[in-house]
Amino acid sequence: MTTQTADTAMNGFEKTTARWGRITMAATLLVSWIAPLGLIWMTDFDISFTMVLTAYLAVAAVYLILAVVEPVSFFPVLGQAAMYQAFMIGNIANKLVPAAVVAQSRVGVKPGSRQGDLVSVMAICGAAIVHVTSLLLFVGILGTWVLRQVPEEITEVAQTYILPAILGAVFVQAAATVKQIRPTIFAILSSLLVLFVILPIFPALGAFNIALAVLVTILASWFLRGTNGEARKPTAGA
Amino acid sequence: MDAQSTDIWALAQNPFLWACALAVYLIITIQSVIYMRAAKTAGRDIGMDKKTLTTAFRSGAIASIGPSLAVLLVAVALLTVFATPAVLMRIGLVGSAATETTSATVAAETMDASLGGSAWTQEVFVVAFAAMCISGGMWLISTLIMTPILKRGGSKMERVNPEVMRLVPGAALLGVFAVLSIDQLPESSIHAITVLISGLSLAVMLYLSRFKGMSWLKEWALGLAIFLSLTVAYFLHHHSALA
Repeated sequence: MTTQTADTAMNGFEKTTARWGRITMAATLLVSWIAPLGLIWMTDFDISFTMVLTAYLAVAAVYLILAVVEPVSFFPVLGQAAMYQAFMIGNIANKLVPAAVVAQSRVGVKPGSRQGDLVSVMAICGAAIVHVTSLLLFVGILGTWVLRQVPEEITEVAQTYILPAILGAVFVQAAATVKQIRPTIFAILSSLLVLFVILPIFPALGAFNIALAVLVTILASWFLRGTNGEARKPTAGA
Repeated sequence: MDAQSTDIWALAQNPFLWACALAVYLIITIQSVIYMRAAKTAGRDIGMDKKTLTTAFRSGAIASIGPSLAVLLVAVALLTVFATPAVLMRIGLVGSAATETTSATVAAETMDASLGGSAWTQEVFVVAFAAMCISGGMWLISTLIMTPILKRGGSKMERVNPEVMRLVPGAALLGVFAVLSIDQLPESSIHAITVLISGLSLAVMLYLSRFKGMSWLKEWALGLAIFLSLTVAYFLHHHSALA
């Protein structure tokens, strides 16, 4: 196959996924807003617009910035197609991106390459199907039974330590998939810088921790990329 | 139905909410099917066979089992306060158990109630659920607005300097998981130990899969690492002086 066919193929893929990604995401948004509206209408509790607005504004104070910042932070990792999957299903850092990284490492493709993009979308589809079936089965149908079976100490541990249990492994997996020593070291140093130097000085930037770490890692990896990457350009100072 | 009743299940198990929850799951499934077909069509033209893509799908599915189990345990724990359809909707869509409990708590406070407390009435539940749904929707809205803009920016960058765009996805991936992992370390000594055991056990399994011919282990490694580190966390949390 020629590069041209490959380019056309990827353009077609980007177009289809963007169009249907947006349509399905908008449909989800609609359903998830109709649900509470219908409930308010059906119950006849005299719930006023002001009550809902007040409650939402209180929630917005905690989460609105994150809702705006997270999509931007994850875009460089996910790419256009996977954005519409990931921000619909959620569980991005703890489930979908790990699934994509595992699949890329299994198949042996690099993140950001054409093959890498297709593999990551397929992996996220796999994770999405597991997500949907497992929730429907174990929460939707067997929920109350599961609730009685699982001892509280186990639920408590799962709730408290699930993130560290996933993240440590996924970082190692990501490093093994990307296979570049400098960006790996820069990622660790940038994170230390953001978490223990920048955020303590500017606590207001709390919601931007991921965005900042990603930005600093990219900048450091680019400006300090060493000479084997591209020897023509002299290495610029950071 | 009674606004002051604390019997959330009597209200929240209604068919309309169930229909909404199922609709959401149907849309997610439809999206996946469309995406898989698009990937297979494109795969053919860039020289990736169906088998490789099927392997990718299977690896993604297997790798998500471990994280899914944890999500399930937490979701089930929320059933008492939200009832089934609301849990399915809020945990099935963007957001996490932590996000949703925090949102519900904050929303309930505006009505002088606490999540699951004696004032957690049907009326408070409806208002809190509405606030959670609006808030969750904001992620979708911002994704719908930002993605095309970011995509254009990325494409422009790629024309100006393709070298940068080859480096960005990998560096960004490492940045995301480095900052999230390191952020866990100061939480408690058990958190720190859990991160280390999870990372170490994955490294050992990757070594085994690469150099000892156990390539199947690549797919299961994440799940096993989660299981191992959670088991250690369990014993440290319940049976040690660290807790």
